[in-house]
Amino acid sequence: MWIRIIPFLATGILAAQHSTTKLGNPYATPDDRMEGAVAFRSQCASCHGPDGKGGAGGPDLSRGQFKTAVSDEAMFRVITKGVPGTTMPGFALNGKSAWQIVTYIRGLNAQSGPAPGDAQRGSALFTELKCGGCHTRGAPRLDDAAARLTRAELRQALVDPNAQVAPEYWRWRGTLSDGSSVEGRRLNEDTFSVQILARDGRLRTLTRDRIRASELEQRSPMPSFSQKLNGQDLDHMVAYLESLRGESK
Amino acid sequence: MKTLFLAITAAGVLAAQSGADWTTYHGSYNSIHHSTLNQLHPGNVKDLEIKWAWQAQSLEKFETTPLVAGGVMYITEAPNNIIALDPATGREYWVYEHKLPEVTYPCCGKVNRGLAIANGTLYMGTLDMKLVAVDAATGQKKWETKVGDYEKGYALAHAPLVIKDKVIVGTAGGELGIRGYLAAYDAKTGEQIWKFKTIPEPGEPGNETWGGDSWKYGGGSIWLTGSYDPELNLTYWGIGNPGPDWNPAVRPGDNLYTDSVIALDPDSGKLKWHFQFTPHDEWDWDAVQTPVLVDREWKGRQRKLMLWANRNGFYYVLDRANGEFLHGTPFVKQTWAEKLDAKGRPVKVPGKGPSAQGTLTYPGVQGGTNWFAPSFHPGTNLFYLNTWDDYWSLYFAWDQKYEQGKWYVGGGVKADLAPTRRSRLNRRDPKAGYGAVRALNWSTGEKVWEFRMGDVSEGGLLTTASNLLISGNREGHFFVLDARDGRLLFRKYLGGQTAASPITYMVDGKQYISLAIGHTLFTLGLRE
Repeated sequence: MWIRIIPFLATGILAAQHSTTKLGNPYATPDDRMEGAVAFRSQCASCHGPDGKGGAGGPDLSRGQFKTAVSDEAMFRVITKGVPGTTMPGFALNGKSAWQIVTYIRGLNAQSGPAPGDAQRGSALFTELKCGGCHTRGAPRLDDAAARLTRAELRQALVDPNAQVAPEYWRWRGTLSDGSSVEGRRLNEDTFSVQILARDGRLRTLTRDRIRASELEQRSPMPSFSQKLNGQDLDHMVAYLESLRGESK
Repeated sequence: MKTLFLAITAAGVLAAQSGADWTTYHGSYNSIHHSTLNQLHPGNVKDLEIKWAWQAQSLEKFETTPLVAGGVMYITEAPNNIIALDPATGREYWVYEHKLPEVTYPCCGKVNRGLAIANGTLYMGTLDMKLVAVDAATGQKKWETKVGDYEKGYALAHAPLVIKDKVIVGTAGGELGIRGYLAAYDAKTGEQIWKFKTIPEPGEPGNETWGGDSWKYGGGSIWLTGSYDPELNLTYWGIGNPGPDWNPAVRPGDNLYTDSVIALDPDSGKLKWHFQFTPHDEWDWDAVQTPVLVDREWKGRQRKLMLWANRNGFYYVLDRANGEFLHGTPFVKQTWAEKLDAKGRPVKVPGKGPSAQGTLTYPGVQGGTNWFAPSFHPGTNLFYLNTWDDYWSLYFAWDQKYEQGKWYVGGGVKADLAPTRRSRLNRRDPKAGYGAVRALNWSTGEKVWEFRMGDVSEGGLLTTASNLLISGNREGHFFVLDARDGRLLFRKYLGGQTAASPITYMVDGKQYISLAIGHTLFTLGLRE
């Protein structure tokens, strides 16, 4: 009986909006996840994509990285109340259904089963190959690698770094009207300017009237490790990266 | 005599936006978003400066287009507040706050686009389906009437339109299985005078265009203000998508009057004619654009025309007296129609509708253009619009059953170009398509010039008799172009997305421009 009462209380407290108690998700069983998948498809997938990986309007929910839904309770609020200033509306769902959607979304980022490699050996390889040399200076930080990339994507990033380069790491090269060349990571752009982190470490805004020619390169400066790591070592490295979830210790 | 006076007043509004004020959402009944003011011109706009900025307290998307009447500015603040301001200083005279229930059901943000004003009364539609009349001097409510049931997914988001003694308003909710309608209310009492249903019921003409019971949740929303021709005594409104949006298999037929423009007698609400742009829509391409009314010679004869750049990617010229299709041509890349036939009906390319695995079709779900205002300049004879070109969506379909108050869309979409930019940083893939302000030859639809931007835009456009084209975009730029050739005359970074239309007005002999950008209403004028 109490199982029925707790979720009722939980949604009641949420409605009051002033609770400081951190609430757990009362509907987090595998059956709830399946129910959540059904509700997600009918109410969420039109914007967030049928697989939750993002649609035309809604962001990718499969990475475990959320701007607003930092806890289960916060995600429940986002689903039922919406996000002000965005196209995310509040949904007229009963509390159970909203919690089940939370369960489903949280599950999107779960890896399927334990990684086949040894994370400790992966960590040793990481040090041996001096990966941190780049990945603490400009290259993507990896302390939340598993929260951003699936197991398959982590493996792909090691053997074929150019297969998928995030837009924030695209390289911009240009020739300016005075004939000089500029190169760097594209940070932002608009109708009138391009903003880069130049190779010399300077932040620069280049107005388009000064740019004679430019190109945007979706390539990674990272080498492929397909020759340097055998299959087993790759498993170890992926296991190590998969242990990095950006959680404070 | 009274009738004659009203007709002259209405015709004056129709001719162009005249004088110092901006008294309707579109600036004039013909909705050309054009001002006859010319104190600001290409020779002096470089001296524009911000005169004042009014900051909204709401974090919701700020989509208001102000009114200026009798020396006072009136705006809405999301979700449903009205503010009266001094248009010279931005200081508030009063604030009217409409209390909403905790949960309302707007599909895509708690927004409001503006007001109507007549005879000292302001009119606002609310998210909980109320039409509210407020005294323009005191800010006190005169009356409030229930337009419909918000708990069934209905909402009011657009600025009402006053025609003679009636206030006309239509219902949003096309993603929630509503059956849309347009309704007219007595401007003095709030009593309903007529109601036109956008989805015909059994026994009504047009119901045969809905297979089975699909009409029951057919959508057909209205979320943008219409236009009015006092001489023909017809009011024109664009109708939204059929529901469920992306599972057309469950609603066989043309699905009237979705994705159509309807012409109604404003006295009776009777339908005079309709023209359907996208019969049996499969992509969510609402015909919720501004009906632009112009009088021009067409093939040797002076005619009353309607210009319409539709979300489906085609530009249309119609005869607004009878709805006759005169011309249509694509204005952006599109892959869904081979052509328009002699009656303007699209000949669809097979296999471009949504599917279980996703179908890639141009244009994307936001269309070649959308609700943001175009402009027509009687002097340049050009039709101006914000285009989203060379972009696609992947359209998915699946089965879904209707449940009251919940989304009823039967599918989804994916695209590289987001309808609303989520990141404040623009790291767009140039291959994902582009946005451009474009000037079209009004009679052919051919491009005369374009101003390409680093992103697409939801900004409305305004032209002036002095050949200025004014807008803001979602990069945060306010800008002024030369309406004759698209040359950039002025720009200022104001740091927020624009999803509203600019207006211009005169106070104390000075011309101003106002536009909602981000969460702020910026007003610019000449440096002194």
